[in-house]
Amino acid sequence: MACQGLQKGETLASLKTESDGLKKKLEVERGKLNDVELHQVAEKTEVLGALSIKTRRVLKGHGAKVLCMDWCKDKRRLVSSSQVRTSTDLWTREHGVSLPCTWVMACAYAPSGCAVACGGLDNKCSVIPLSLDKDENLAAKKKSVAMHTNYVSGCTFTNSDMQMLTSSGDGTCALWDVESGQLLQSFHGHTADVLSLDLAPSETGNTFVSGGCDRKANVWDMRSGQNIQSFESHESDINCVKYYPSGDAFASASDDATCRFYDLRADREVAVYQKDSIVFGASTVDFSLSGRLLFAGYNDYTINAWDVLKGNRVSILFGHENRVSRVKLSPDGTAICSASWDNTLRIWA
Amino acid sequence: PRAMSGTMCSSNSVVQTQKLVDQLRLEASMERIRVSADLIQYCKDHRRSDPLLTGIAASSNPFKDKKTCTLL
Repeated sequence: MACQGLQKGETLASLKTESDGLKKKLEVERGKLNDVELHQVAEKTEVLGALSIKTRRVLKGHGAKVLCMDWCKDKRRLVSSSQVRTSTDLWTREHGVSLPCTWVMACAYAPSGCAVACGGLDNKCSVIPLSLDKDENLAAKKKSVAMHTNYVSGCTFTNSDMQMLTSSGDGTCALWDVESGQLLQSFHGHTADVLSLDLAPSETGNTFVSGGCDRKANVWDMRSGQNIQSFESHESDINCVKYYPSGDAFASASDDATCRFYDLRADREVAVYQKDSIVFGASTVDFSLSGRLLFAGYNDYTINAWDVLKGNRVSILFGHENRVSRVKLSPDGTAICSASWDNTLRIWA
Repeated sequence: PRAMSGTMCSSNSVVQTQKLVDQLRLEASMERIRVSADLIQYCKDHRRSDPLLTGIAASSNPFKDKKTCTLL
């Protein structure tokens, strides 16, 4: 008996020693991961060759700064908006009509291509059905859907024409039923204006990411309204957030002149895209189809193309004569459209 | 009696600690998946279908004939 007790005692002691040792080892191993940035993990990835991306179209006709644009799923049509105080100024490229929406900071095409949403300083986001009949009175068909208590900074339809997500200067995001205008869910957590939102690619489930003046990027569960992840590493306002095509990461653009990349499953920032020579704020970002390139528009009028994995700048796209307010990849990945305060849109391919 | 109860207690402790050690061994031996590796793999998998990366022939790119458009 006494012998058995002794053996078990020894076993216990040695097990405890082993468990302590293992715990320390785990700490060290996890600590190692925290120090690793994406470009280090991607050391063996092949270097990118020069890109042959140039301006292929310049779309003129807006009488004022173009603040926002979106592609239609048919890959040929765009909706774009500018900041003109009195006249109608929202229009689609195909129709070439002005849609009855003033003070527009955000616009989006409905997935069906049959309507557009627009919102801005009127604190609302409205939906306007598109018509082939040029005589049709679109003003009469405009329908208010979202009502915030401050400007609407971003809007997107979810996977159908039936629901819409908005972000607002009132510090919240909201999910709306388009038909009834009913508020389905609101998202509280930001402590300042929310400037941007992006919906996760449909395969990854019902989440979206938002970024704002509180320097935070938050990931939300659309159904529960819960803030499931939060990232605070930028040193100034986050102007834009965009999911990586796989849905497992996202990028952000900020007034601190950097763009950053966050790995959602590692729950941390894994890359910073910056250069000493880039001192102006980044206003917008979008990925190429494979996620290897990140296009970012800046207040110094340029668009920089970054190698997402290696962290270096691959190309500078010159052409705009004022701030770039939005860049967006076409649905089939063949082109990037950029909107600018120089009153034009450019298509790059 | 003391020896007995002592043995009983330490049996439980041993079992528990053994379980803990097993779990820790598992975790420590796990290939520390650098989660970012999946992101890299995604890029590789989709590289060929990324027109901006690979460049597509002018003939198949609807945007490649340079024009200036004025919208009405």
